[in-house]
Amino acid sequence: MVPFGEVSEIVLKVIAAHILGYFNLDADILPRIERPAYAYDVNRQQYNAATILKALGSMPFHDYVKVIGLLEVDLFVPIFTHVFGEAKQGGKYALVSLYRLRRNSDGSTPPESLLLERAAKVALHELGHLFNLLHCMDRRCLMYFSGGLQELDEMPFYFCRYCSKYLGDSLRSHGINPTPTK
Amino acid sequence: MDEKMSIMIVDDEMIVRESLYHWFKKYGHVVETASSGHEALEKLEKLPFEVLFVDIKMPVMDGIELLGKVKEEYPDTIVIIITAYGSIHTAVKAMKMGASDYLLKPFEPDQLSLVLEKIANQRKLTAEYQYIKGRLEAITRFDNIIGESPAMQAIFDLIPEVAHSDSSVMIMGETGTGKELVAKAIHARSPRSKGPFIAINCGAIPDTLLESELFGHQKGAFTGAVHTRKGFLEVVTGGTLFLDEIGEISPRMQIDLLRVLEDKKVTRVGEREPIDLDFRLISATRRDLEKEVIAGTFREDFFYRINVITLHVPPLRKRKGDIPLLVQHFLNKYSHETTKQVDHVRRDAMEVLKRYDWPGNVRELENAIERAVVLSRSRTLGIEDFSFLRPSRTQLPGPRSLRETERDHIQHILEECDWNVTGAAKILKINRVTLHKMIKRYNLQRPQ
Repeated sequence: MVPFGEVSEIVLKVIAAHILGYFNLDADILPRIERPAYAYDVNRQQYNAATILKALGSMPFHDYVKVIGLLEVDLFVPIFTHVFGEAKQGGKYALVSLYRLRRNSDGSTPPESLLLERAAKVALHELGHLFNLLHCMDRRCLMYFSGGLQELDEMPFYFCRYCSKYLGDSLRSHGINPTPTK
Repeated sequence: MDEKMSIMIVDDEMIVRESLYHWFKKYGHVVETASSGHEALEKLEKLPFEVLFVDIKMPVMDGIELLGKVKEEYPDTIVIIITAYGSIHTAVKAMKMGASDYLLKPFEPDQLSLVLEKIANQRKLTAEYQYIKGRLEAITRFDNIIGESPAMQAIFDLIPEVAHSDSSVMIMGETGTGKELVAKAIHARSPRSKGPFIAINCGAIPDTLLESELFGHQKGAFTGAVHTRKGFLEVVTGGTLFLDEIGEISPRMQIDLLRVLEDKKVTRVGEREPIDLDFRLISATRRDLEKEVIAGTFREDFFYRINVITLHVPPLRKRKGDIPLLVQHFLNKYSHETTKQVDHVRRDAMEVLKRYDWPGNVRELENAIERAVVLSRSRTLGIEDFSFLRPSRTQLPGPRSLRETERDHIQHILEECDWNVTGAAKILKINRVTLHKMIKRYNLQRPQ
């Protein structure tokens, strides 16, 4: 995991613990790199996720199967107003933004535990895409697309049995022994 | 969404195409992109796409123009308009032209998910509608007889009426018009529908064999009759006997059949005791038997016995309005049979099919579609796929000489009379010798 700029240490550790628990993968927390000023869009006052992913792709992460970048800034892709995270299906790099997870829909601040939960869910979802999982129709599955915080909060930590199966197959094809999902 | 869709994204901005491409891929959809309206139309010609996401603002062909073309050529394709330059005016115009929805860039990720859910529901409803429509058609249509022209509607109206009587029916029509299908439809709707339907092509069987086929024979009745064999007249009991090309049977067979129809009894060859018969006769011919009766080449009493009710099946050239319907029917049939995804005929190709005279009628059209589907490498059939069609008389260009017209007319009459020179000479009101000379002069040859 690569933090871009200032990212809370506890968030990084919680995500790493969830990746180990659900993917049976050790997640290293790499030294932070600079906030990606090159991806800032002045008109939208947001950061372009596609530009950051491209930059990540040019960095030397040869020792890692997958790389997740964590940011405190607001991310967008050109067609959408915002995204919580972004990953290319079956790719190597993903992004998770904590920006919108830090405030509730009514503008209030969520308790720290809820923020950690949200961050872990988005990270697991994006990592699922990197292991080729598709969006799922089961609202209770972590691979269900949640466009809003309410849906994200209602979603349990759970991969449905189909996504668990696909994830297991995908992990095995990467030479990783999957543990049973919780 | 329960099922994956085939989606094409049409946008001149690569970043938009890529964003949407990756987004849809995350749902497992089959996704293609096009950077212009022309590229989209080219790709649509090769492969069907269920949903198109189209940007309005594009150079050369804008999204509205593309929407118009897509809705004209592929009306079932769902089009979603996307634009950053949206206005109520453009949105209304797009929706009026058949767009299913309208999205303003940038949109909430949730909005796109909602649009996809709506499309999935729409597809489900369409699939249900198509299924119910298909079931209804299967119930209401007359087997494979397709047509909405007044001439065919008249036949459809007549079939149930004719079916419920037990009178002999004569179906007249050129070769390939579907006379046997009409006969089958009459049988299927008649009180005899649970009995057999036996079809015999009288023109294809030699007279002696036809006699044996119809009347049957007793063991030892003639050399080779090693078993007693029931004739079709006996086997068809309770059902319908269809005698195709009845104009081809010999005068002797006409007498034999006339007796059977009058007595409703038959005696097997080599046997004495007659057997009671119970069948309904439907016969068909492409010849003008009334003229042959007048000419004395066909028995008048037999003609009136088999011709209590007459149905005329029109040639395809006289119901060209049915061609698109027939084409679609055969496309569905052969796409299904060959598992090739060919489901569309370009407008210019359809014009060619409508202009062609179809001397072999619906059968020729069916063969043409089958051949085109088998050989096509695209989902859309174009003019080039029908280059094998013989140019019809009506298609010949420009002013023509008297000599050319005479030659074509003689050829036409000869084909109408199945190259019976005597019959053709009668119609042309010239003697046979003259006609033979003309055939030689114009080097006319009977098609193989």
